[in-house]
This record gives sequence, C-alpha cells and structure tokens, in this order.
Amino acid sequence: MPASRFNAFTDYGIGIGLRIPHYQHILEKKPVVDWFEIISENYMVDAGRPLHVLDQILEQYRVVQHGVSLYFGNADRPNRDHLRKLKRLVKRTGTPWLSDHLCWGSVDGRYTHDLLPMPYTWEAVETTAANIREVRDFLEVPLAVENVSSYAEFHMSEMSEWEFLNEVVERADCGILLDVNNIYVSSKNHGFDPQMYIDAVPADRVAQIHVAGHSKFEKYILDTHDHPVLDPVWELYARAIARVGRTATLLEWDDRIPSFDDVHCEALKASHFLPHEAVAA
Amino acid sequence: MAHAVMRPLTRDDGMQREWTDGSATTEVAEQFIKPNDRLDSFQRLEIYNQQYWWRLLGNFAEDFRGLRAVLGDAQFDTLAVAYLEHCGSTSWTLRNLGSRLERFVRECPELTAPHTSLAIDMVRVEWARTIAFDEAEKPALPPEEIRDIPPQLLRLGLQPYLVLLELRHPVDKLLGKLKRQGEIETASLSNAVSSARPRRRGRLAARPRTKPIYIAVHRQNFAVYYKRLEAEAYRLLYALRTGVSLEHACVVACDGSIDSPELIACKMQSWFAEWMSFRWLTKPARVEPR
Repeated sequence: MPASRFNAFTDYGIGIGLRIPHYQHILEKKPVVDWFEIISENYMVDAGRPLHVLDQILEQYRVVQHGVSLYFGNADRPNRDHLRKLKRLVKRTGTPWLSDHLCWGSVDGRYTHDLLPMPYTWEAVETTAANIREVRDFLEVPLAVENVSSYAEFHMSEMSEWEFLNEVVERADCGILLDVNNIYVSSKNHGFDPQMYIDAVPADRVAQIHVAGHSKFEKYILDTHDHPVLDPVWELYARAIARVGRTATLLEWDDRIPSFDDVHCEALKASHFLPHEAVAA
Repeated sequence: MAHAVMRPLTRDDGMQREWTDGSATTEVAEQFIKPNDRLDSFQRLEIYNQQYWWRLLGNFAEDFRGLRAVLGDAQFDTLAVAYLEHCGSTSWTLRNLGSRLERFVRECPELTAPHTSLAIDMVRVEWARTIAFDEAEKPALPPEEIRDIPPQLLRLGLQPYLVLLELRHPVDKLLGKLKRQGEIETASLSNAVSSARPRRRGRLAARPRTKPIYIAVHRQNFAVYYKRLEAEAYRLLYALRTGVSLEHACVVACDGSIDSPELIACKMQSWFAEWMSFRWLTKPARVEPR
C-alpha cells in the first residue's frame, strides 16, 4: 500500500540500490533519486570508508535498509550481538522500515551466506513468525519480509509458497517486500502461475516491491540481478501495482553493474506502471 | 540440506555423487527434494551446492588475492577448499571469512609448501588489511591530557585498526606490485553466482630477508596503508599495546639497539610526532593516580 504501518506511513517512490561502483558519481553529481536501498551488512562495521560514504549519502538522500543475514527461517533464535549491531545502523540511517528474506541460511553456527528455501510447514510458520516478532520488537522498526527465488521444493511442504508467506506475515503481523522477479523465477523453476501468487498476497501488507533481472539457463532460471528487468517481470509488476496501489519500488542490480544513469533509467521504467497522483485543482 | 550444500564440489564443479556413508547422493537428495519435469532432486540440490562454493571461493579469492598470487591458482584453490571445509563461516558477515586462515596455514603447512613461510606472511598482511579497513576508531589522544603525567605512570592506547606485524618477506612490496598489475577485482553483491572465480597467470615470489621486516598496517583518510617501521619503533608500539607504562615501553624498545641513546631519543621524538599526526595514539585505558 502507498502508506501503511508496515512502511511507517511513508510515500516513497522509485529507488535504486546503493552500490560501490556508483559512490563517486552519486557524491559528485548528486543525481535526483527518490531513495536508496542499502544492504545493511555492508555498513554494520565500526568505522572506515563504508560508514563515511553512508553518512554523506544520508545527508542528502532517504535510505532504506535491506538485509541478507537475519535468516528468519532459522531454527535458532536471532543472534543478539548481530541485532545490536543492526540496531546501531538503524539509528544511524533512520530507515523507516527494514526488510530481510523469508529464508534460512545457517545451522549450528555455520553460515551458508545463501538465501535457502524453507519447507512450507506449519511448524516453520510458527518458528519463523516468532523470529520475525523478536527481531521487530528488538529493532523497534517496521519489518517487511521478502519472498526469495528458489530452485528446489521439499517433499515435506504442507502448503504453497504464497500460503506460507501469508501465514507467516499474519502471525508475525509484519509487512511484505514483494519481489516480483523472485516470483517469476520461482514460477518458472517450479511450474506455478505467478499471477496466482500476486493475487494471493494480502495487498494491505505490501510495504515495498523489488524488481530485478535474471538469467535463463537450459533447465532453470537463476536470480542473478545482472540484467535489465525482463518484460514478463514488468507485467507481474503491473499486476502487483494494480492490486496494491502506488508502492515504494526498488530495482536491484548487483552484478555486472552498468553506469549509474543506466541503472536509474531502468528503475524509472517502473513509473510507467504506477498510477499518477491526482493533481489538486 | 545444509550438510549437502556445504560439501566440497568435484573437480568439474559438480555435486559429489557419493554421500558420506557411501550411498548415492541421488538417493539422499530424493528423500527431501522434489524433482520437476526438467531437473531431478540431485540436480536441484546441486544448484545450491554450487552457489555456496562459488560464492565463498569468490569472496575468499578477493580477500586473499596476494596469497593467490603467491601460490598460483591450483594450489590456492586446494587451500581455499580445505580451509573453508574445515573452518567454514561462523559469522553473519563474509568479512570475517579469513579470520582463522593464518592458524590453518600454520597447522597444515603441506597445503602451501614450498611457499609456506611467504604464504603465512601474506595471510597476516591481508587479514590485517581487513582489520585496518573498517575496525573501530577511537578519539585521538589530546596532548594536554597527558602532558603532566610522568612516563613511569603514563599508559597509551593504540587505534584498534592499527595492526603491527613482524615479517620475513617484503609482502608490502609484493602487494604494491600486484596492485600495479591491476589485480583488483570488483565484488559481486548478487545472491546468485553464475560462474566460478577468475584465474590469473604467474606467481609472486620473494626470498626471506635475513633481518625482520616491521610494518604497521593502518588507515588514513579511509584508505589502507602499509608503513615500514624501525625495529625500535615496532618494539615501542608493541609494548605500548600490551599496556605497560611509557617508560617501560621505551626500555623495551631500546633493548639491543645499536643506536646511541641520544640518537634513539631523537628518533623517538620524531616517531611520536608522526604517530600523533596519524592519530595512532589514543587515550590511555587507565591512568595511574599521581
């Protein structure tokens, strides 16, 4: 939704990910960008250049934090040291909401650094929702969970991915970061109708949307974030916007990163699908 | 699944066909992964197995590009897989991936032979670079706060990002050479990795020096630098970091020095002036009551 308790009642438009190859351009040219998304982990350090650059960005731009290591789906409870570092960054950036993925990624203290798919079981719903609630209560900022792209499904799953997502966010009472590229990638890898997924998501919980490019291989699609957004993904985006309304949208481009202008131009294509705001008479 | 994902790949970057108990990995994968009309359970699990190793090996190679240049691609890859299989990642951030590498290389010298001595020096400097890049910075020492404290009572702290190293090889020079060769690569942030790490040609080599080389790895204006130190300066800083008084540290620094007391005193004055300008010296952890 345009503004809800899941994105702190903000009205953010189209943003792009803050990436190292663009630092110099942004700091020197100061391009007009509605907001930047940062990968939290890149700035959860004590000092040095990353925080120096971030502080300069924060002086001029709105920043939203996106994480890759909270692993809400882990069997273990969230790591408090990790959360303390994350909270320090939350206070620094003033992020209106914070997002991470609906996945697991570590077990018995060993980290895979991947966004691993979950078995969609009722037990996992409870564990994951409890972890999300604990993180949100500790960080004191609205949380949105992102659906991941996946390449495997489990025999033990008891529901579809979108049913699992819905159950988790209802029990955790949190928002959704709806990644339409991930929905497309998973739909091709698992053979479901991506529009059915979009239609099943509770519109009033969508705090933010991600779009991105992917890579097609002979037998599967990989979520590589190294291409422009493909037409079928834009079509899904249009359907999502039609359901949830004007929503903060972000383009992810993480590998083989082109110039800042090229990335921003690709992101701004989203504006073609956004409903225009009413103009006051 | 985690166990399967973290098992090393085969020589041709595929998932191992045999499970740990001798059974077929296919049978193991079929127990929990659904096949689809294009990929069987093994192939679907293999995607995650490959992604794990390509991601970690890519990051590892980027953090230790000097070590890779010393060992060559083949030996470096063997070491990387052995290290990551044995130590893995126990941190939420990939920044700490190499934190236990020095110890691992010392414990398994056969993996770096005959370049073990140089490899250890290179690992120490490359890990120090990680520390220097983003470790905490404390407020610099205000001279007026210590001006009246006698040396026998004065204790000084050092910046957490400052790493002091005693080396046998001129690793700082080798890294400079590597940088000039344009070996710096850009990291990928993508969650999906579509290929293995890049390759390089040739090896970096250096003979061990007869005398130790002392360097400080530090940060200045958000860039990492390697600064050569005289032996006495190294001993002085090292002693200060252990928490002894300034007077005691000076005694330690001069022990065995061939310089005259007058020359050492003159040098110390210039060293402290330089270290203050670098903001290396911090408030003492504790000042004894006068």
